[in-house]
Amino acid sequence: MQIKINGIEKQIDVDADTPLLWVIRDEIGLKGTKFGCGRGLCGACTVHLNGMAIRSCITPISAVEGQSIDTIESLAQEDGRLHPLQDSWLAHNVPQCGYCQSGQLMSASALLASNSNPNDDDIDMAMSGNICRCGTYPRIKAAIKDAAQTIHKKQQNNKNSQAMTDLAYEIKV
Amino acid sequence: MDNQTQALNTTRRRFLQVSLSAAGGLSLGLTLPGCAAFRENTINDEGSWSANSWLEITPDNRIIFTLDRVEMGQGTYTGLSTLLAEELEVNPNDIDVVFAGAHKPYRNPDYGLQLTGGSNSLSSSWQQIREAGASARALLLLAAADALKVPKDYLKTENAFIVHAGSGKRLSYGSLAKLASKQNIPSDLNLKAPSEYRYIGKQNKRLDSQQKVNGTAVYGIDVEIEGMRYAVVSRAPWIGATLKSYNGAEVEALAGVEKVLEIETGVAIVAESYWKARKAQEKLKLQWQRDADAPLNSDDITALYRQQALDDEGNSKRSEGDVDAAFEAANKVLEFEFEAPFLAHATMEPMNCTAHVHDGKADIWTGTQAPDIAQVAVAKVTDVSLSDVTIHNQFLGGGFGRRLTQDFVAEAAEISYKAGGVIKLVWSREEDTQHDVYRPSALHKMRAAIDEQGLPIAWDHHIIAPEIMDWYVWDASPAMFPWAPKFMYPMFGHVGLLTAGLTPATPADTSAIEGADDLPYSIPSIEVRHTKADAGIPISYWRSVGHSHNAFVVESFIDELAHEAGQDALEFRRTYLKNSPRLLNVLELAAKKGQWGRTLASDVYQGIAVHKSFNSYAAQLVEIKITGNEVQVLKVVCAIDCGLVVNPDIVTMQMESGIIFGITAALYGEITFKDGQVQQSNFHDYPILRMNQSPEIETVIVESKEPPTGVGEPGVPPVAPAIANAMFKATGKRYRRLPLKLV
Repeated sequence: MQIKINGIEKQIDVDADTPLLWVIRDEIGLKGTKFGCGRGLCGACTVHLNGMAIRSCITPISAVEGQSIDTIESLAQEDGRLHPLQDSWLAHNVPQCGYCQSGQLMSASALLASNSNPNDDDIDMAMSGNICRCGTYPRIKAAIKDAAQTIHKKQQNNKNSQAMTDLAYEIKV
Repeated sequence: MDNQTQALNTTRRRFLQVSLSAAGGLSLGLTLPGCAAFRENTINDEGSWSANSWLEITPDNRIIFTLDRVEMGQGTYTGLSTLLAEELEVNPNDIDVVFAGAHKPYRNPDYGLQLTGGSNSLSSSWQQIREAGASARALLLLAAADALKVPKDYLKTENAFIVHAGSGKRLSYGSLAKLASKQNIPSDLNLKAPSEYRYIGKQNKRLDSQQKVNGTAVYGIDVEIEGMRYAVVSRAPWIGATLKSYNGAEVEALAGVEKVLEIETGVAIVAESYWKARKAQEKLKLQWQRDADAPLNSDDITALYRQQALDDEGNSKRSEGDVDAAFEAANKVLEFEFEAPFLAHATMEPMNCTAHVHDGKADIWTGTQAPDIAQVAVAKVTDVSLSDVTIHNQFLGGGFGRRLTQDFVAEAAEISYKAGGVIKLVWSREEDTQHDVYRPSALHKMRAAIDEQGLPIAWDHHIIAPEIMDWYVWDASPAMFPWAPKFMYPMFGHVGLLTAGLTPATPADTSAIEGADDLPYSIPSIEVRHTKADAGIPISYWRSVGHSHNAFVVESFIDELAHEAGQDALEFRRTYLKNSPRLLNVLELAAKKGQWGRTLASDVYQGIAVHKSFNSYAAQLVEIKITGNEVQVLKVVCAIDCGLVVNPDIVTMQMESGIIFGITAALYGEITFKDGQVQQSNFHDYPILRMNQSPEIETVIVESKEPPTGVGEPGVPPVAPAIANAMFKATGKRYRRLPLKLV
């Protein structure tokens, strides 16, 4: 079987009903994705399937054959620059025991990818599938809002600089 | 005692052990005099680390700190490193932290065991770790004075370097390690005065965050050892049942399955992958012999407690004034029962352990709150001596007391011992929920005598609950005597129970009464009694332990007494807390910050509670909203006095954490038994508070120069009674049973 994990094609040989979680953790060896409940109830195992947040503990490998999976290990850029959410997580001192945080970050990053300016309800909706036993919710919420602002600003800047380039081009023409 | 610079008397109380590690690093430990075990083994073969110490400085100036209180979210990784950093004069961010194995110098001085629990990591390390840093710094200064041939008073330390201002010369700590190890600790060693602190009280960032946001932090479940195979265990579904038979050969024939074997707690399947082991487990058919005497239903347990309460009026834990006379003279008597259920810990990381028992030795990789008790657990189920068990501790994906019990370590070790090779045992969430060692349930019988003015003249609190030490002592006590042969282990348990409260090594068990016997309200006559009642359900320590139910009962009943007196809940507490200034102070702070009595929307109600636990004082004001039968906590304002604060934001985090943990228990938490089985299994029927249910939380920290006290647990106890008291305001009904349900 073949899947693409964090942009790299992987060949794996497991039973077709093996949950994606155990393939990621034990076959591919990426341990950042966590086992919490095995029933899709806690979100510790959240990864992205083609950019969407899914629970890997209840996703059989056969269901994602040939598709693209991203895990916490791919959230930062290759040069080590952190995702704005990770920066925000550090700024807000979010993690305590930290065990659920990979899943929290993957749910949050899927949210921001589809909605760069979420309100409280949007955040609750996207994040309520992720349990944190240490109770870091208030900080997660604040961190998501901050990261959204950072991303939003960056997009505005990009738009502005794109507009300037366009303008310069028009003037030149 | 912390207001002034303190002289260190190293000869009287402790001595320092200085040695040179094979890598040329300065290794330094601090221990009680006469600990022979400490003098052994300061150099390892690779020369990279000397285990019996907190600090190693390598020639290339790495500062390595061995953390002997585990990191399970509560912040020891940052807090204790900060103590070392302060006195050693290094930036906390530049310290490499490694987790301690099981060794005598790392025993928690408050327990005589290497435990992380009881919210005392900071307080019990406060002196020890600062002394370790200060002593090393002093030796380095002496070494630098020698090397530069200048008086040491002309030198200063600056983030792991020693600087001579006159010449501008800078020497790294690492370059001085060899010389420093030959110096004698000066007799005039001083710890910094609080005014000199650079990091204590100022450090806010956690040092373990980076690895927890990029997925690289290694928890027990992430350990990967060459040749490792996976194991799962099927345990008795009924309390006390024993195995009769199972279809081992049939399951062993399944693809990927290597072995099916009986262990003490059930039947283990060893397979090439976790999933193959789980699938094979579905084919495992087990016959059990049920224990006829085992408890069947939750109601039976409550009935047992009620009967015990009738049969035995309990041991008096506090007796003041004349309670009988007061009840005789009372104008009115209030008498109610309160109940608290069994609770699961539900750490996010399920129990797991990787074990390799080989050639009379054992290696254990796991996240444990009690590494030396883990050694006992391994020794009991294998032929390995306690001292030949090496514990490789990891980050803990939550502890809350669950990882004080070493059942998962024993299982993994027994499987590795019997099946051979490296075994990783992982519990499922269902197994974790149904085979926990639970927060004990408790029955409380409360009575108050009320005079003509409506004021309380007597308080009678009768607690009917088990004692946790009865369960814990069997594993814990042998760890205190590592030299003892295994056949003596059961004896230690008996001795521990028989002498509880009589010797320093066997403290009295206060787990059932803590937070009740120290009632702070100045009611003229007070009686607190405890009847021990144990239904045979495995129990253990659960975040805030006895305080978790006693605070609920005391603070709810006080609220009832305020109402009975026709007084405002805050005003009433003020009057009766006049002898408890620190409690009163946090109460006032929470009330002020939370605007007690402010005008609220018509469906929002306030409640308040205050409680002392783990030597800290916490008050919480809650605002709840009632929609249909749902209670939602909208806001919690918390005031905490935990003495001197090392890391303000970690204190705030722990209050938030305790509050949310406490709300889960207050509104949802309940493990019940039916026909001898635990009825809950996963997060759908043992729910944990989620983000959409989580309140806004505001924390106020009292500025204090008192010695530091607990923060991991004190945030938990006040929230349940504060919610119950708000529910009373909303409905006019009292809620005396946890979890709180409107109907």
